[in-house]
Amino acid sequence: MRKVAIVGGGATRCGKRKASWRDLVQEAGKAMFESVDNLSPKDVDSLIVGAAQPERFVFQAHVAPMVAEYLGITPRKVIARTELMCASGQAAIRYAWACVATGLADVAVAFGVEKMFMPDMAEAQTNMTCVLDREWDGVNGLSAPPFFAMTAQRHMHEYGTTKDQMALVSVKNHHYSSLNPFAQFQKEITVEDVLKSVAIAPPLNLFDCSGITDGAAGVILVPAEDAKKYADTPMYVIGSGQASIGNAINNFASLTDWVPLKIAAKEALRSAKITLDNIDIAEVHDCFTISEIIEYEAFGWCEKGEGGKFIEDGQPYIGGKVAVNPRGGLLGCGHPLGATAILQAIDILQQFKGAVPKGRLVNDAEIAVAHNLSGAANVHSIVIYSR
Amino acid sequence: MSKPEFDKVKRPETIKLPFMLDFYPLEDEKYTRISQFFENLKEGRLTTTKCKRCAKLSWPPRIVCPECLSDELEWVDIGTEGELYAFTEMRLGAPLGFGQDVPFCIGIVKIGGLLISARIDNARYDELKIGDKLKLKIVELEDGRVFYRFKKPS
Ligand SMILES: [Zn+2]
Repeated sequence: MRKVAIVGGGATRCGKRKASWRDLVQEAGKAMFESVDNLSPKDVDSLIVGAAQPERFVFQAHVAPMVAEYLGITPRKVIARTELMCASGQAAIRYAWACVATGLADVAVAFGVEKMFMPDMAEAQTNMTCVLDREWDGVNGLSAPPFFAMTAQRHMHEYGTTKDQMALVSVKNHHYSSLNPFAQFQKEITVEDVLKSVAIAPPLNLFDCSGITDGAAGVILVPAEDAKKYADTPMYVIGSGQASIGNAINNFASLTDWVPLKIAAKEALRSAKITLDNIDIAEVHDCFTISEIIEYEAFGWCEKGEGGKFIEDGQPYIGGKVAVNPRGGLLGCGHPLGATAILQAIDILQQFKGAVPKGRLVNDAEIAVAHNLSGAANVHSIVIYSR
Repeated sequence: MSKPEFDKVKRPETIKLPFMLDFYPLEDEKYTRISQFFENLKEGRLTTTKCKRCAKLSWPPRIVCPECLSDELEWVDIGTEGELYAFTEMRLGAPLGFGQDVPFCIGIVKIGGLLISARIDNARYDELKIGDKLKLKIVELEDGRVFYRFKKPS
């Protein structure tokens, strides 16, 4: 296996964009290619496109060749699309990494895109209801907010976690996204703002939930030995892990104990030959405030049930035990499904370069983890990067 | 300059709820090999499949056991009374076709050793608590298909 580097990346601004799916692809593609030296689209031999639901959001399938066409890429080694719902982009990065590591590809692009704003937003909400088992869970109206609402309710019931503690996660991530020009939400909020925002599915309010977002992003992966040809400060993929326990609700022994995250995190750390204490930045999947709280616990930054206290004590802020979501997270930056993991990777690269605004810069960061969950938190996908 | 005249073309604007937005399973034996589940439900029985070889109880029902790959499965009753494990209420962001029901409660119900998601009828969010006893409720769609829900006994 060859060591693999990410040499550059580019993204659109995220949010409710006056732009089509293919506009987003072109904006991000241009930014991606302009972020590296000595590399043109024709040098790319492989393209993996993370896209969760283009069939439903923009009525378009076979999207990897479309991205290739719009970006002037002519793949001759590998071309495919990855769908793993909210982790579709992380799957794209992992496959691109595997292709380069094994020698199947020499210059691979991992791209992610989602156009989620539709003329009728009820249609967009409807799309999210075929993520869990549509015939047995989705049929009950079970999309992401109700599922994570019940997860939050169980965490409150079992461990005494409070709505105030959950709100603090959103306050933190909006604080960091206020310093991120690519973010969907660039305004600070308070605990009171979260608690007073409209109830989506109790106990979750609007600001406990990540947004519906348009966005695209891409990164370029090459063998580490070639990296300096394209960039002065590449970053390296040093480990990865992934685990899943089915799709339907019935697979869980507990809603609050994310066993596949523990498995994926353990494998990621093992393969990177590091321990949790080596991690300076954690870009984790805060699709809902409760998700980040459970992630503190499942990664092992705090004990089971102590996630609420962990944020209350300021531990996931820069300068605390570990900087969690200094990008602004999904809560602050938005969550354009297929693009999310790519956006995390790009921000980590910028962190390593020291190229993010001061208030969210993690000084001298050496190692970062990027994590996505998908479905009913029954799949967890992790990549570990080093400077 | 006057606005040019174009040929007008039509596309149908009103269609019935397309299959792709119909959340309920196709139940007839023409479409599925677990139509027995729905036949049982019509008789008031909530059932699932159990493996005759390794005794694995699956949810949702299967035609092949995911534990031992046996296709010798039997239908077993999982009961008509469950316990509320978790619940919430759909207030905003309901999918198409659910709008007229908002707000409605959704829960996870412990029943027969399984955790099953279901609509919870007969109660608002504030009237429910974890551990509540619930009863099976069967609903029928206009086309004759049936599905299960749970309700708080009145
Ligand atoms: Zn079996």
